[in-house]
Amino acid sequence: MIRNIITLTLNDLAIAFKNKTIYLILFIPFFVFLSLKLVDRTDTDFKKINIGLVEKQIYAPVILQTIKSADKVFTISRVPNEEEGKRWLKEKKIDGLLLISEKEQNSLLLVVLKKESLITLSIVESFSALQKAAEGNSINWISDIKPLQEGGIQKQSLPTWILMLVLLVSFIVMPAQVAEEKEKKLLLALLQTPMREIEWLIAKLFSGMILILIAILFLHLLGNFDLGNGLSYVAFIGVGSFCFSSYGIFLGFLCRNQASARTLGVVFYLPHVLPSALSDFSEKLTAVAHFLPSYQFYEPVKSILLEEGRISNLYPEWIYLLLVGLLTFSFACLLMKKRWLM
Amino acid sequence: MLLEVHNLTKVYTEKRGLLPTSFEVEKGELIAIIGHNGAGKSTLLKMLASWLLPDSGQVLVDGIKLKNRMALVRKVGFVPETPNLFDFFSVEYNLKLFARLFQIPFLRIEEILKEFNLLPFRNNKIQVLSKGLKQRVSIGRSLLADPPVLLFDEPTSGLDFEMTKEIYRLLKDFHALGKTIIFTSHRPEEIQTLATRIIVLHQGSLVFDGPTQKYFQSEIHEKLYLL
Repeated sequence: MIRNIITLTLNDLAIAFKNKTIYLILFIPFFVFLSLKLVDRTDTDFKKINIGLVEKQIYAPVILQTIKSADKVFTISRVPNEEEGKRWLKEKKIDGLLLISEKEQNSLLLVVLKKESLITLSIVESFSALQKAAEGNSINWISDIKPLQEGGIQKQSLPTWILMLVLLVSFIVMPAQVAEEKEKKLLLALLQTPMREIEWLIAKLFSGMILILIAILFLHLLGNFDLGNGLSYVAFIGVGSFCFSSYGIFLGFLCRNQASARTLGVVFYLPHVLPSALSDFSEKLTAVAHFLPSYQFYEPVKSILLEEGRISNLYPEWIYLLLVGLLTFSFACLLMKKRWLM
Repeated sequence: MLLEVHNLTKVYTEKRGLLPTSFEVEKGELIAIIGHNGAGKSTLLKMLASWLLPDSGQVLVDGIKLKNRMALVRKVGFVPETPNLFDFFSVEYNLKLFARLFQIPFLRIEEILKEFNLLPFRNNKIQVLSKGLKQRVSIGRSLLADPPVLLFDEPTSGLDFEMTKEIYRLLKDFHALGKTIIFTSHRPEEIQTLATRIIVLHQGSLVFDGPTQKYFQSEIHEKLYLL
């Protein structure tokens, strides 16, 4: 049995290599890595705030003096006028633009790109601290802000990319591979040998899991990302790749040919990836996402990578994924025995 | 009896397929199953090869039931109409993969390559081979485990005259070696000198089963092919 499984797994991987699927598996993490490199410009733990001041405007000396003295927090860029300053802001040459307020005397207007961004919060917090220091006020009520999730955009978005990679292999690659073997009658040819149905299914499952692991490993090697709690991370990647590979094989059995497998794959891919990946931004999406296996994978991975979560606190999700995997694997086995759409 | 078919039935939703059919085959027979398109020839052969699950009925090959696929595949070799080989890989890779699954020594592959004149093509990818060569690889693969019964579904479909002659020569050779052969065809005149027995299917029903000579003198042949 083991010999047959190894033979069939190697055959599946050889097919993935020959039909260029392996390039897709390697290209996507590479593309993700390149995008993240371009997005995350500097170290996110601390970076100086670049404040733009309009050359012709006359700022209160105390304000100018205070900002200049806080050279570890701020750098100052002089902009010729307000319009130019706004253009610089859009081009991200500066983080904020200080203008003299027209409404109130001796007060400033801070122009930022987005009001609800982290950089805006950082500017306001720094100015507040400077003002209090300059005016000799008492200490801040809030002395520091500690984020629940550590890391910058690269690390923050890593769980989303991991989810995307896992679902891409599972819902786009795997169903097409299964349907191709059905369409070309290759599976029937293999069933003309003393190979058990379960051996073929396990081999297909292994090849799916290996492709997922290659993609994730490649992303980690490129980005040199911290694994959080390594053992818990590996446990969730393992059960996630098992669950979604089985799911993908099951979808493949529902299709007669590759074209329909690709369509069905996309139909399942988007509703799984979007609510889970966007759940951070919407209460409603979070409520919907709870019912999806993708969310039960995404949340623990996020927790392990960003919040120091451990598998000991995530057993329900782990068992849920295992059960979904076993259920879809059983359905695939049933359809194979019935020679469904072969 | 080497092969026993009892009330084998498979009806598709479009009311096509095979109506209850029974016949027996002795060792060493060379049987042609003929009939027009949609008569049920391929359905019958695919059920004998475990490609299709029958609705009802029973098949025994050397005493082995259809449900016992693991044992049956060593008794029955099946060559489908369109060769189903791994296109990306070489002739040798394809044969090795199936030899591994059958747990047959690779020495057998050399025999097959030699027997089917495939030695010059052993490293060629399947996708670059002609249909005739693909068919030879497909036949070679079905013979890896040396099964006593060989099933061929339209073995000469889409082949030129020379390749058709070559395939029929191979069938004769296998027959001479004592193999039991069942093949389908919709061109009875081509198999007149080849088959020892003819089974005629018409609209899913078995309408004739007897020696080749008797068939060509029968009304059935006249009704189905001459009128």
